[in-house]
Amino acid sequence: MEQDTLLKFENVSYTYEEEEENNRLAVRNISFEIKKGEFIVVLGHNGSGKSTIAKLSNSIYLPTSGRVLVDGMDTSVEENEIPCRKKIGVVFQNPDNQIVASIVEEDVAFGPENLNLPQKEIRARVDEALKAVGMYEYRLHETHRLSGGQKQRVAIAGIIAMRPAGIVLDEPTAMLDPKGRADILETVHTLNKELGMTVVLITHFMEEALHADRIFVINDAVVERTGTPDEIFSDAAFLETCGLELPDTAKLCLLLKKRGVSLPDRIFTPEALIEELVRQTERA
Amino acid sequence: MIKDITIGQFFPGSSPIHKLDPRAKILILLVYIITLFLVKNFFSLLLLFLFSFICVLISKISAKSVWKSIRALIFIVIFTAVLQIVYNKNGTVLLKPFPQFDFCITSGGVFTAVFLVLRIIALILLSSLLTYTTSPTMLTDAIERLLSPLKLFHIKVHSLAMMMTIALRFIPTLIREIDIIMSAQKARGAKLDAGKFGERIKALISVFVPLFVSSFRRAAELAVAMECRCYTDGANRSRLKVMRFALRDYLAFFICAVIFAGALVVNYVPLCQSLLFERVI
Repeated sequence: MEQDTLLKFENVSYTYEEEEENNRLAVRNISFEIKKGEFIVVLGHNGSGKSTIAKLSNSIYLPTSGRVLVDGMDTSVEENEIPCRKKIGVVFQNPDNQIVASIVEEDVAFGPENLNLPQKEIRARVDEALKAVGMYEYRLHETHRLSGGQKQRVAIAGIIAMRPAGIVLDEPTAMLDPKGRADILETVHTLNKELGMTVVLITHFMEEALHADRIFVINDAVVERTGTPDEIFSDAAFLETCGLELPDTAKLCLLLKKRGVSLPDRIFTPEALIEELVRQTERA
Repeated sequence: MIKDITIGQFFPGSSPIHKLDPRAKILILLVYIITLFLVKNFFSLLLLFLFSFICVLISKISAKSVWKSIRALIFIVIFTAVLQIVYNKNGTVLLKPFPQFDFCITSGGVFTAVFLVLRIIALILLSSLLTYTTSPTMLTDAIERLLSPLKLFHIKVHSLAMMMTIALRFIPTLIREIDIIMSAQKARGAKLDAGKFGERIKALISVFVPLFVSSFRRAAELAVAMECRCYTDGANRSRLKVMRFALRDYLAFFICAVIFAGALVVNYVPLCQSLLFERVI
């Protein structure tokens, strides 16, 4: 079923040139496959190598060894560079450093313009992308007057206007306030559920991983574990060795259990916990 | 103070001036500036001044932002005026405040001062109107198109235009950054707005070094983000907004041509001068 795979890493290692003497690898022998339409969250603490994965996935970095395949195309082949970037869009942490133009719609048009599309097509894609991220009414605003969350949504629109099959987001919420974070997460989920876009969300916020199809836990340049949120979050000890914490709700559950409240395992979302507690009180 | 910089600011709107083709606006501004410096006659100048004033009115740009752009250059305006009043010795003596010195204020001095002030303000009004009513992308696009003949000399016009777009886009970002760095350095005890001139300049180094470092980091990140969006060298790019001269552009050309020609006629034809100019003095 090769066709179902959008992104494939085969024994990929990468080292930043200046660190070559120390032979420190940013990622070491990583292999994974991401299917079309999946929602993947990559979890890892700072410096674990998770950001390198973003840049490896669309031919910005080429693997030092191993292969990265985007829809079957090897990213290290020069002719594949642009086709790979059309397939996989990457959004970075700081929206200020991704926005090229001063006006929202002109910035979103930057990608389609680079693809040399006809004017009508650009117009249609810009409007569609801005609607998808809920920024359509801001299309004529100046980018520097927007809030962080709005800027980041414009940056996402700039990527989806190129209609990639998948989007990789490298800590898109790290610089945002809680409201901005919630907006971005909602946007990303909409892209995945409604437009069927493959999403790879790289983050160190546990809460953002709760609704993923699969979670990759990265530690010290390798993928330590792959699994569903249930599987990953039920092993608190493992997460701790990777420098990660449990989601807040899971932490709360542990504390409640210590106090003698009997709770089933695998409650990670606030909603699930509330439901369970309500059920117990009603029974009592 | 640093927040007052309005270069490259754009106020979206739908006035006739906003809707003009940016190329037309640039060309008109160019001819306007040339005419402005050719005219030596007060009535021609007044006509040109009124022209820029009416343009500002049509554009519906707020008086506050127009004043801001004038205020930024007010020092130069006042300086020019004072120089003229002090050093110009033409015309009749109006005032001789210190009889023991050879210093006097003459009618010629005052006249030239007013003339120059009007000329500079007219210049500021219309040039700032260009950036106020044109989005930076459109502006650089227009410059790219106007300069495209230079491609014959193997000049990378597109790269120049892209540089301008990015520079304009980052002006507000960097201004905010300077503000943050200044506050951070003040919090650490840097004396940025006290002390002698030399000391202040030295203190500013502590602002500009971090600014440079962060600008390079921004540039690197932006370059990667642009590559992610399939930017290559800009050779084959299409545009969201295609520029085509419309009827209103030709109309604008015509109106401006009439006004500028009028100003030049008044300026150069001796009959007009004797009718208007000399009667005033």
